[in-house]
Amino acid sequence: MAMDDILYAVDVPWMAAAVAGHRVFCSGEPAKAEAQAENRGERIVKTCCRACIANCGVLAHVKDGRVVKLEGNPQDPMSKGRMCAKGLAGIQALYHPNRNKYPLRRVGARGSNRWKRITWDEALTEIAHKLMDTREKYGAEAVFCSTGGGGNPEIWSIARFCNIFGTPNWFEPGCAQCYLPRVLAYTMMYGGTDPSIADSNALEIYFPDETPIKCLVLWGTDPSYSCPSSGGAAVVELRARGVKTVVIDPRLTPDAAKADVWLPIRPGTDVALMFAWLRYIIENECFDRDFVLKWTNLPYLVDTGTKLLVRSEVSHDAGAPDTFMVWDENTGMMKPMAYPWDDRLSPALSGTFEVDGKIYKTGFTLLWERVADFTLEKAADICWLDKTRIEAAIRMFTENTPGGLALGVATDQTPNSVQAAMAAATIDLLMGNVERPGSLLQRFRTSGVLKMPNYPVPVAARMLPEGQLEKRLGGNEHKGLHIWYAGHPSSIRDAILDGRPYQPRVWIDRSGNKLGVVAESKKWAEAIEKLDFIVHMYMYPTSFSVYADILLPAQEWLETNMIVETCNQLFARQAVTHLWETMDETLFWSRLARKCAELGHENCRKAFDPDFMGEDLAYWDSMEEFFSHFTRVVGMDWKEFAEKAPFEYLPKDEWRQYYVYQKIDEKTGKPQGFPTPSKKLEIYLESMITLARTGKPFATQPLPPASRDYEPLPYYLEPVESPVRDDALSREFPLVMTNGRVPFYHHSTLRNVPAMREISPVPEIWIHPEDAQKYGISHGGWTWVESLRGKIRARACVTQGIHPGVVCMERFWNPENLDKKTHGWQEMNVNVLSKSSAPYNDVVGTYTLRAFQVKLYPADGAPEGVWTKPEDFSCWLPADMAPTHPLDAAYDSGKEAVKK
Amino acid sequence: MKQYAIVIDLDRCIGCRGGCQVACKTEHDIELGPSRSTLYTMGPFGVFPDLEMYFLPVMCQQCKAPACVKACPTGACYKDVTDGVVRIDRKSCVGCRKCQRACPYDAVFYRPKLKVADKCDLCSKRRAEGLEPVCVTNCAGGAIMFGDVDDENSAVSLALKSAGHHVYALNDPGVHPSGRFILRGARWHEPELKHKGAVNEQSVNEQEDV
Repeated sequence: MAMDDILYAVDVPWMAAAVAGHRVFCSGEPAKAEAQAENRGERIVKTCCRACIANCGVLAHVKDGRVVKLEGNPQDPMSKGRMCAKGLAGIQALYHPNRNKYPLRRVGARGSNRWKRITWDEALTEIAHKLMDTREKYGAEAVFCSTGGGGNPEIWSIARFCNIFGTPNWFEPGCAQCYLPRVLAYTMMYGGTDPSIADSNALEIYFPDETPIKCLVLWGTDPSYSCPSSGGAAVVELRARGVKTVVIDPRLTPDAAKADVWLPIRPGTDVALMFAWLRYIIENECFDRDFVLKWTNLPYLVDTGTKLLVRSEVSHDAGAPDTFMVWDENTGMMKPMAYPWDDRLSPALSGTFEVDGKIYKTGFTLLWERVADFTLEKAADICWLDKTRIEAAIRMFTENTPGGLALGVATDQTPNSVQAAMAAATIDLLMGNVERPGSLLQRFRTSGVLKMPNYPVPVAARMLPEGQLEKRLGGNEHKGLHIWYAGHPSSIRDAILDGRPYQPRVWIDRSGNKLGVVAESKKWAEAIEKLDFIVHMYMYPTSFSVYADILLPAQEWLETNMIVETCNQLFARQAVTHLWETMDETLFWSRLARKCAELGHENCRKAFDPDFMGEDLAYWDSMEEFFSHFTRVVGMDWKEFAEKAPFEYLPKDEWRQYYVYQKIDEKTGKPQGFPTPSKKLEIYLESMITLARTGKPFATQPLPPASRDYEPLPYYLEPVESPVRDDALSREFPLVMTNGRVPFYHHSTLRNVPAMREISPVPEIWIHPEDAQKYGISHGGWTWVESLRGKIRARACVTQGIHPGVVCMERFWNPENLDKKTHGWQEMNVNVLSKSSAPYNDVVGTYTLRAFQVKLYPADGAPEGVWTKPEDFSCWLPADMAPTHPLDAAYDSGKEAVKK
Repeated sequence: MKQYAIVIDLDRCIGCRGGCQVACKTEHDIELGPSRSTLYTMGPFGVFPDLEMYFLPVMCQQCKAPACVKACPTGACYKDVTDGVVRIDRKSCVGCRKCQRACPYDAVFYRPKLKVADKCDLCSKRRAEGLEPVCVTNCAGGAIMFGDVDDENSAVSLALKSAGHHVYALNDPGVHPSGRFILRGARWHEPELKHKGAVNEQSVNEQEDV
């Protein structure tokens, strides 16, 4: 394909510069390291980490085929040559003696952890037969799949397989509990990126010498611990340049300790505090009035009877928004406001108006009514904070614009999740902290190589047979899940347990320790007993593997490829080595689809037809073939791309673009606005009503309405288990539990890596000295932690750095106990305690991972079999292991291609 | 004489242990248990919610009058006159651990498999290749610096100068440590070093080391 054709095909005007420039921008910085490595007989492979979701650039040193050293790649504009503890653990993870090495079939009773090696072909054949039999007897929906964020997954490859196979059911323990609420709210209200630092957004913070940002609010996020090398370092640089920081977090994290104002909030009450911020900002006129009038939908009139915005005209042109009504103060009449703005009108920002017996209010007035009760005093009372400190925090933010609010995962983990993201977005939108230099909400350019960073697999949503989407468990009630095509974990689990509305029977999982990360894991253990067939694919065995029927070896990040876009550069994660018979899951699902096709599955067969699949891509035979589909955008195949990466696809100053909404759309001659239905910032989120009723704009098939409409404005939900309820439950379980990251683990990963367990052998539970004294807990001592749903043990860390009445514990499981009765998930796993039942967030079905009640009482010692001393972990140190043969040899069906 | 040493801007340290601990241990292939550097969580001091907390990485302070050198019976432990770095010559070290007991900063440890004492030598090998010590390169916060503290024009000396009176050193029992710490964001507290039997408040996991 000629270069001109490619440019034409992708129709991205600035791509010419990118393609022309990519060779020029190849920096020579790592040359020194390379020369030195060569002297030692080493070769350096430029790749990217995937120990978490940050994808930092890595230089992997390889000697005699073995990875001997990892260091950061200084070309990475975010991590700038640094690697964190998790990334550096990569070698021990890669060469772990307990890697899953070959496909295995269970030979003993389920849970006995006894296995026999089989070939990939045997494994795929057995799984495919089981899938086809199940589909024939019970329908494709009786098969469900799952994935998760820890350990290098390609999440869409699961969604795609499910669509093609015909089941609407896949889930991950994240989604509604992690990131999806924020993505949903910011996508619907703004249409650009959300401000999550840990998800490699908020890119403005990586230019400390250029950004005019004056205040950064870290709300339920701690970049120091979640992404030290990239976001954590960036925040350090901002602080060093005098940028003010406000931290909202129940525990004294490193970022909280360095903050100008720290608000140690009661877990689960974030929306109440956000409402107090909004009330204060509105009451004291701190917001950007002109911006709010012109670029948000808050002056538009809402029919209070229907909760819908009033339209004078519905647009049938996809490029033009509907025309909405405002109250014109010049004429005292309701008038249509032509997009983007009609200078002849003087729209009222607030007000209640009666016309022809109907009551109309502006969106702004409805917002005010939502927050009007939430005075500083009331928020202080609900959130266990000091009123003057709340005010100091708000003023720190409002007096230091431009600024931004980075919202972390904390608020995603309670049933108030979506509303917290909506309220957080509203704070920045009212302040006008959008697309101006110094704000976190931006639409910087992208390469166009991937539609979604790190998740290239096309989901092929149209392949799901008609009528199947309606069967997505929990999908009709919680339609926000459709933004990620996902099902609702608790609804799936409940269906397994009671057979309603139908019985799920076969589970294929490709992720970490499910029992370590789903809420109320004991109920899942019960559900597992009811399943006909379970497949687990991962890099090493976890507690969940013990219950599987087939175990498949997945690749570590040092064995995989991926296109990584970091700011204005494209990087390649590339396979540095390949061990045993491990397989990239993106290939596994393709192989499984082929087996199903061979057994007569019509859609699986079609999925290999490039003409039929079109942009959804036909299934692939190799990762090289797969990635070459995307790298064509920059005129290369994967091999060339991987050799040349990293390179700048655009110069930095062209890549960073501001005020995108003001750019004139050549077709209309008007500003292009925001990618929302009204092209304005939709703080009054009318689309929530449409979503509840139809699933639009995310669902690809008609769906019945949810049991009730979703609210267009956020609301506060007191945690279902709460000390302020002062009921029997909170008297028995008086302490509020929350969680938080430590810098050594990501989700359920790395608990089997000696270098991490040496530093963090067991989970700590943080407790305030007053509470410790009350409940007889001593610093460093073992304690029971019990909720309504179970009990576990942890080691107590008695510290002033946690709100009295609150305890905080990191998730954990114990690989050393896989062979014990507990299988390593029942000893110190905080998700034995968390709550998986209703109330759920109405929009996305979030359950309660944080802000539930526990009690603590002293324990005699550590759980049986748990390792605590550094030397205990020595048997997990890398074993000598030669690299295996080239990738594809291992996959040849039915052949014993690879031997130890 | 040159005096290379570590200077740490504690306002930049975010307690992640990526550079000073994991990268260091990987670089020097240190077995499970000991470490050339220890991260002390200082605090939280005060009463909730008025708290101060910072992290303090402690490695060899490259003393001017090193107690370890004085205690060494074989001369294996010596101060290199070319750069002021205190080194241990593994060939002549007999593993008596006198240096370990003598060090007031708990910065020397014993490696049972090699039967020698070990400590930070500011990554001599890397420096010979023109690289910085690995903790400096890999410190997420850019907190760790190294250079000649006796050269008033070196980058570290200039950093110390511009920090004015916010510069601290560990308590000196007569060994004259060369390491320096910059701390503006909190009040300085002397760490209670582990081998003195102290219990560090913040992280119980820290107690398990060594």
